Amino acid sequence: MEQLWRAVAVFRVAALAYAAVLVVANHDRYARPALGWLTLGLMAAWTVAVIALCQTTSGRSRWLFALDVAIAAGAVLATLAVETSGRIDHGAPTLPAAWAAGAVLASAVAGGWRGGGVAAVVVAAADIVERGQLTEQTFNGVVLLLFAGLVGGYLVDLALRAERAVAAASRREAAVAERERLARQIHDSVLQVLALVSRRGAGAGGELGELAQLAGEQEVALRALVAAPPAEPDDQGEIDLRSLLEPLSGDRVVVSSPAQEVRLPADVAAELAAAVREALGNVTHHGGHDARAWVLLEDETDSVVVTVRDDGVGFAGDRLAQARRDGRLGVAQSIIGRMTDIGGTATIESTPGEGTEVELRVRRD
Amino acid sequence: MSAGTDLPLRVLVVDDHPIWRDGVTRDLESAGLTVCGTAGDGAQAVRIATATRPDVVLLDLQLPDMSGVEVAARLSAIDPAPRILVLSASGERQDVLDAMTAGATGYLVKSASAAELLDGVRRVAAGDPVFTPGLAGLVLGEYRRLAGEPSGPTTPQLTDRETEILRLVAKGLTYPQIAERLVLSLRTVQNHVQNTLSKLQLHNKAQLVRYAIEQGIDE
Repeated sequence: MEQLWRAVAVFRVAALAYAAVLVVANHDRYARPALGWLTLGLMAAWTVAVIALCQTTSGRSRWLFALDVAIAAGAVLATLAVETSGRIDHGAPTLPAAWAAGAVLASAVAGGWRGGGVAAVVVAAADIVERGQLTEQTFNGVVLLLFAGLVGGYLVDLALRAERAVAAASRREAAVAERERLARQIHDSVLQVLALVSRRGAGAGGELGELAQLAGEQEVALRALVAAPPAEPDDQGEIDLRSLLEPLSGDRVVVSSPAQEVRLPADVAAELAAAVREALGNVTHHGGHDARAWVLLEDETDSVVVTVRDDGVGFAGDRLAQARRDGRLGVAQSIIGRMTDIGGTATIESTPGEGTEVELRVRRD
Repeated sequence: MSAGTDLPLRVLVVDDHPIWRDGVTRDLESAGLTVCGTAGDGAQAVRIATATRPDVVLLDLQLPDMSGVEVAARLSAIDPAPRILVLSASGERQDVLDAMTAGATGYLVKSASAAELLDGVRRVAAGDPVFTPGLAGLVLGEYRRLAGEPSGPTTPQLTDRETEILRLVAKGLTYPQIAERLVLSLRTVQNHVQNTLSKLQLHNKAQLVRYAIEQGIDE
């Protein structure tokens, strides 16, 4: 953005020089040459002042640009007093000539297409009043001013948006890089030690065995944490379902998924993951103390299937009343409800002694 | 067990962490296996494997000098090739899949217990596939990915039976449990699992050959 302000400043100075050349060349034909020189002097003073004020963000206030546009319009109208009406009718340039467009450009840079448009309309109105009628030449000038204000402002809006997007992307990139660095470090140090403690102490009884088991659990949890892809929706509002399911793996839960991303709309993915969590919670509550669970994620192109299987006690299909008493049916209905909400299906199968299998399926449209 | 004799299995342990190498070596030796060498990087692993002819290479995929898939490919090129059991972190999915298609026949996560590791080494040495549920999920995903690509003459496909068995492996069933559920012999189940991997490995080789021919380096 600072480059744009420099460009506007360069334009102002160049346009001022051009206006000065015009005054020097034409002053002997002016009705009031002294007033012409005075106007040029004021324009020069304002050019210096406004460039100085635009150096800092705090100086670039709304009022400054309103005043800037007012002065530009005033300089255009001053032509009426300086020039003879005959010369004006013959299409003599206004006193500030292109200098007036500097205020329009500044407003466009500061306020986007709206700011540029408003400034262009004000200066164009002054041009028309100065000439007294809308001639072809004035019309061209007006169109050029509007063009400069609107298109210039629009480009500034685009540049600002692009700048913000680049900043956000580089922030994300930095976060990912940092995450990868951490993951490497953790993989190279902490995980190795935890895995080793878990292995050396496995099978040993008492405190050592307990320590080993804890180390093992922490290792699995930490591995899942550093390995999980970032759980953030992309520009299309889609998310990699793996990023929501893999953190669920742990000591008793194994999550299997493809090597490729499994993209789903973020809200659908969230509901699906919530259904999986409920199914896993059910395993912990009702599957029995040692029940383990496996989550399998499959991408069948036209649909996504997640299966949750456990090796817990299970229940017989004809024992729904029992299941309802145990609170299992509530969970089942909640899972089915979630899947129905996102246009998917859930099937729940169980055999006593052989655990329960929940299949969640959602179609891609 | 190598070549039908009663000689102890000879294992090469490849990992860039000395602590881990020592720990695993101790576990294997205390179970009566011979650790014929250890290596901290890929080049060393290939050198030692060529010189000592181990039955099984226990391979970590994160090595300082080359990628896991490259080490697996170079080890597979040794004649006779050692069996490769990949031992790695659960997070390195594409790596794992690549190493398997490059010639490894077993995969275990590092958090596997000493008993699981020993069992894995023995099964890989006997020519059986060692799959984790995670690997089965990866292999299923790989076939789906291949199915979505423009198919060539070598594009492998799973039979319905293979898909069924892989899904059961991914859902945590052991081979005996699968055999019981599908009323098949244990050997048949293992063969099916083995086939799913062999087809990918064959496809991988065909791809490499085609690439070599296309690049004009087939002499």
